[in-house]
Amino acid sequence: MQLKRPPSALQLGLMAASCALLSHTARAQTVDSAEQPFELDSALLYYKENPGRVQTIEPVVSLKKDFGDQRILGGTFTVDSLSGATPNGALPSRKPQTFASPSSTSLVPQAGKKTTLYAIAPGNLPQDPHFNEQRVAGDADWSQPMGLDNNLSFGGHVSTEHDFDSFATHADYSRDFNEKNTTLSAGLSEEYDQIHAHGGNPVPGSDYELYEHEGGQTKTVSGALIGVTQIMARNWLMDLNYSYDHSQGYLTDPYRILSVLDALGNVTGYRYENRPDSRARQDLYWVNKVAFGPTVLDVSYRRGKDSWGIGSDTAEAHLRIDLGHGVYLEPHLRWYHQSAADFYDLYLSAATAAPQFMSADPRLAAFIGTTAGLKLGVTIGRYGEVSLRLEEYQQRPSDQSSALPQLQGLNLNPNLTATIAQLSWGLQF
Amino acid sequence: MRVRLPLGALTGSIIALSLCGCQTLGVKPWQHDVLARPAMALVSEPMDAAIDDHIYFSKEAASGGRGFGGGGCGCN
Amino acid sequence: MTLGLDAVASAPACRRVYQGPLSEIRAPHFRVALILLVAFLGRPPWVVADESLDLAPLRGRVVYLDFWASWCTPCRESFPFMNRLQNELGPQGLVVIGVNVDRNRADAQEFLRTHPAEFRVVYDPKGELPERFGVRGMPTSVLIDRSGRITLRHEGFFLKDRETLTQQVETLLEDR
Repeated sequence: MQLKRPPSALQLGLMAASCALLSHTARAQTVDSAEQPFELDSALLYYKENPGRVQTIEPVVSLKKDFGDQRILGGTFTVDSLSGATPNGALPSRKPQTFASPSSTSLVPQAGKKTTLYAIAPGNLPQDPHFNEQRVAGDADWSQPMGLDNNLSFGGHVSTEHDFDSFATHADYSRDFNEKNTTLSAGLSEEYDQIHAHGGNPVPGSDYELYEHEGGQTKTVSGALIGVTQIMARNWLMDLNYSYDHSQGYLTDPYRILSVLDALGNVTGYRYENRPDSRARQDLYWVNKVAFGPTVLDVSYRRGKDSWGIGSDTAEAHLRIDLGHGVYLEPHLRWYHQSAADFYDLYLSAATAAPQFMSADPRLAAFIGTTAGLKLGVTIGRYGEVSLRLEEYQQRPSDQSSALPQLQGLNLNPNLTATIAQLSWGLQF
Repeated sequence: MRVRLPLGALTGSIIALSLCGCQTLGVKPWQHDVLARPAMALVSEPMDAAIDDHIYFSKEAASGGRGFGGGGCGCN
Repeated sequence: MTLGLDAVASAPACRRVYQGPLSEIRAPHFRVALILLVAFLGRPPWVVADESLDLAPLRGRVVYLDFWASWCTPCRESFPFMNRLQNELGPQGLVVIGVNVDRNRADAQEFLRTHPAEFRVVYDPKGELPERFGVRGMPTSVLIDRSGRITLRHEGFFLKDRETLTQQVETLLEDR
């Protein structure tokens, strides 16, 4: 699963195959019997980064049908509308800066070429304000038991936006042991993406002034997952998963650049970023679900590492508090830490030759991310369940300043704060 | 700061142990009442989980890894 | 299929439901009085003492013993099937008994409210009966022939197996 995305898809990226793996439960426990074979799940997501940055509105609709004996067909449809300013990777400077929007085919106005420029005032973080992207995605999956102790499911995913297309499939298998107290699961996924950035894909690592672009690129992601679920007690379920995925191809972000600074911190130019063409990732994910009467605690920890030198730790907890009469409250806390990629740098130095791989993408930097949220859900008889979730996400990078004289007093990688609001409606009929 | 952790070997041994060592761990087939509750499903809110995975996939370097299968009513 | 105590008021429906041992009671007035008494006691139709299940009095009949729970999703499908079995094959000597293993009887009764049982229900919250019968999965149905021997055990309930199950029951019923 790849981080590599143009800002459009990056801000709220599409569900890659490994993500598709996640959202499919091999045993559909919620779809009811022949009397109510359909399950409709819908959500409207509003995501906003403060201040004045990216915002998105995303409706999602999912429909499942049980054809009897837990043979289930499901389909999901997502529309994503993104707009707002997104950082381009360059650092703030004491002097004004001008950049060309990615849709430009030339840095300077020329006949026959399109040039859209945006100016950044001194001290401000360079962000491209002309950001508007629509994405449409569809998923389909089939799940069925095989005999008493096995379950098989497989599915596909397609998504498209102006500069990015993705196709993915996955297959999952699970088997029960010890009178269904133990379950082993395995999954495989395969993804193929086409990246055709606005204005063409820039030559990775090239000089920004030259504005060299090339044709479309592709990448593939292959993933595998194995897991064991164990019933520990009447009210306690434990799950441990190991996943591995490997990405190959064009993994660079076509819209990001790095500032090239002299010894004092003055801008001497910019370079397009360049990332390796392969990335291997491993994750270990441990989940515990414990019921205390009507209250359920979901607590998980994930440890990840990859071949780019990024190590991550994620700790998350949900507490579902049943208030009776079909109403529940669910506070949510998440703590995330990642270390920087080997080739991550705030800027490049003009004095030394450009390294082979480089990126100033804040998503590859070292930071701590925290989330705090609350969800309220109400069941309205046979009209299903409506819920509202409100969360706040904050990223605090560890590298925010530099010793260079011209960069004193500038916040080179500001904190990110985002608000997440989600209205959902689920119904069985 | 990198922690050298043979994740694959660790999971493999845990799986092997659970297969042979867990005859005593667990409940009787007719004691799945609490586990059968929708809130006790491994992924009890798939829509929220998918949306969260979306968001964190776009803003962070790590992603995915969540599993599926197991627990529940244990029926059929 | 949703005949239950709601239909008790109409006599012909009553007779269709209670085709078991009651039909052997010859005195019509006594039969009606008994039906009314059971109706007065409310659902489920035949409330029997918890846990202990004495199958000796049922010697000579075929017993379809089903272990179910309110939280068992396939049981929502198995109940209409077992109701049909009891109604259609009851006269030939079939007795369907549903053993409920819910910890709280209220949960079982909530299930029965939306999925009525037209067969006998026994409550075993401690789980002694499934232990005794070696239940390895939910739901489980055990077929006992006329001589009291356990002949078949089915783990799980699948809609596609209904015909096979019916045939197995009919085969046991033919053996007198």
